[in-house]
Amino acid sequence: MSKVFMQGNEAFAEAAIRCGCKYFFGYPITPSSEIPEYYAKKAPSEDLTFVQAETEVSAFNMVAGVAATGKRGMTATSGPGFSLGCEAMSYMSAASLPAVIVDCMRPGPADGEILGSQGDYNQLTKGGGHGDYNTIVLAPYSVQEYADFASLSFELAEKYRNPVVVASDGTIAKLMENVELPKKNYEFKRSDWACDGMNGRSHYNDITTCGDGPEQWEHFNITLQQKYQTIQQNEQRWEEINTEDADIIIVAFGSLARVCMDTIKIARENGKKVGLIRPITLWPFPEKAFEKYEKTNTKFFVTELNAGQMVNDVKIAVNDKNRVEFYGKLGGITPTPIELYQKLCEIYP
Amino acid sequence: MSIVYQRPEVFTNEYMKYCGGCGHGIINRLIGEIIEEQNWKEKTVIVWPIGCSVYADKYFKVDSICALHGRAPAMGTGIKRSCPEDLVIVYQGDGDMVSEGMAEIMHAGIRGEKFTVVFVNNAIYGMTGGQMAPTTLMEQVTTTTPYGRKQENTGNPVNMAEIISQLEGCYYSERVAVTSPANIQKTKKAIKKAFQYQMEGKGLSFVEVLSPCPTGWKMKPADALKHINDIVVKQYPLAVFKDLGRGEKQL
Amino acid sequence: MKSKLIFSGIGGQGTILMGKMICTAAAKKGYYVTLSPAYGQEKRGGRASCQVVISEEMSSMIISEADTILVMDEKSLNDYENKVKAGGTLIINQSMITKDAQRKDINVVKIPFTEIAAKAATAKSANIVALGAVVKTLDIVTLDDAKEVIKVKMKPALVEQNIKALEAGYHYL
Repeated sequence: MSKVFMQGNEAFAEAAIRCGCKYFFGYPITPSSEIPEYYAKKAPSEDLTFVQAETEVSAFNMVAGVAATGKRGMTATSGPGFSLGCEAMSYMSAASLPAVIVDCMRPGPADGEILGSQGDYNQLTKGGGHGDYNTIVLAPYSVQEYADFASLSFELAEKYRNPVVVASDGTIAKLMENVELPKKNYEFKRSDWACDGMNGRSHYNDITTCGDGPEQWEHFNITLQQKYQTIQQNEQRWEEINTEDADIIIVAFGSLARVCMDTIKIARENGKKVGLIRPITLWPFPEKAFEKYEKTNTKFFVTELNAGQMVNDVKIAVNDKNRVEFYGKLGGITPTPIELYQKLCEIYP
Repeated sequence: MSIVYQRPEVFTNEYMKYCGGCGHGIINRLIGEIIEEQNWKEKTVIVWPIGCSVYADKYFKVDSICALHGRAPAMGTGIKRSCPEDLVIVYQGDGDMVSEGMAEIMHAGIRGEKFTVVFVNNAIYGMTGGQMAPTTLMEQVTTTTPYGRKQENTGNPVNMAEIISQLEGCYYSERVAVTSPANIQKTKKAIKKAFQYQMEGKGLSFVEVLSPCPTGWKMKPADALKHINDIVVKQYPLAVFKDLGRGEKQL
Repeated sequence: MKSKLIFSGIGGQGTILMGKMICTAAAKKGYYVTLSPAYGQEKRGGRASCQVVISEEMSSMIISEADTILVMDEKSLNDYENKVKAGGTLIINQSMITKDAQRKDINVVKIPFTEIAAKAATAKSANIVALGAVVKTLDIVTLDDAKEVIKVKMKPALVEQNIKALEAGYHYL
């Protein structure tokens, strides 16, 4: 199939349309706005529903409504909007609703800046909203992967009946690359559990997140946690580059992992055996990728576009057996491959 | 022997958890009767709020979903947009709608969402224990207005049926009360008309129901009904504020 | 084969459009192309730049050192002169920049884009003149490739004048 030269957000939107996501509810915010704009533009020709909501609070709840009917719906936002949506993230997780949410991360806290950032890592992977819940988080590092995650995110959301977040950032959102878009191959089937009107179904459905006494609610929570354990077992995804003989392994995700691909090349040209572990699922965090290093002297260099968030998960994954150092960038400037190499050399001469 | 009164078929056998004298049970029943009479059970989705009717999903044998506090109109938007043939009923209380969810209901009206909102106004937060709502009357004593509601601190009551009727996207807006057999029949008629408009694909249909809260108001059930008829209707008059189906021009 | 380019200027000067055209031409020839734009919060008058990487395989979209950098205004010159790799090319928009480059280990080319564009076609095509000059420094994208992109991507009425501007920039070097 031929490739097209496309922007990340637009490629994701097109891929989502092709995999049957016909409902989009959103509120404009940089750097995510090309996704709602794309849906708005394609709505008449592709028979899509696009609603510009009054707030992200509403947009997320509208997505919850569509998800509750068993149909594919999504929203896209950035940090400030995701914060507003966290109430609904908690809800959709408890209600087991399969929705997809895109967070094009930008530097926070608060209003912040509009370039690339990874400062929402903790918010996305540790819940963000109230209560004990988790959402699957996928972090793309190229336009191709961003587009591929459209169908993957819905498949995972539906498999586990759980919200899935696609965590891009200001860089990946705006990046333009060659991309092979998926074919249209989605066939809608009614879900047995959905609230889409009985319309011939033999039973009625009831979706609620209201507890019916502490015993019932504890049981509910335990069941939810069992689902998360299953996801942790089955869905850890990561990529390793040049780790086989590496003395030092860089750990980076999303746009920054892309930069590190050049950093490890520079390091090897300079005689340093450096590899890369790139978490693809931020939750579940790919702890399995680190198991084999527990009894080695492998050193880790974690770099993120934040003040140090994923680094804590790396420390847990290596069980404090390996040395783990961190370098972060704040504000929206993505470091260059050479800058990262120099930092790595400062820490591990 | 003919049956003149029975539990609607569309009801489950669940025990209703409303307080004695509460209006929710009556309003729930009216909705159930209409769904049954019109044979809409198969295509109904009810979006319940957070508030005293939070467990009402357990009372109906239809698809039900409990929304987050105030967000029922947003959730209803998602449901109705994806299932336009269904009868989507958004059921809200006054704390849920007028306080937490003012943006959601206003914008559902602004967009002219084609669902029905049944708004139960008892001028108080019932579920959380009798606090002030935006709909609480002036000088009304609640647990958060222990000396009576004062304008300088809390402003004035909000008349939703009138406000919603002003929006172009609203097709029908009426205020009724469940205070007497005659008023209950009027309420049923209003809700039925709203549902019918929805099934005809019209814009937002909105029914505000004045409903007694004897527990929150600290009144005997009979006194609570009298209170609505004598006092509450002065702030919230019973009227049709808009009915485009009757050929009325917008107010 | 790998080319790393940076185009920088003020919003409205067409730097990102130039990047897109180079990428479209290179992508057509089967290269892995990446364009990473950076805008200011405002649409016009703010900073607008893009980093373009053309290579055989996926690599970093952030460039440590560029083979060719085009600067359309003086602030861009100040910001990017250091990012040209030794032996690389710095193309300066002489129509807007009076200052000279400091480095001696790079090729510095000064071109009055606006004046050339006005002479060849219209002053509005200054960025296409610049594109022509950039193409001259590249092995991957030829003059004919760039012409093809103009023919496909631009409104028919604008094709002729922009091809003239492209050629004028290309042959100026």
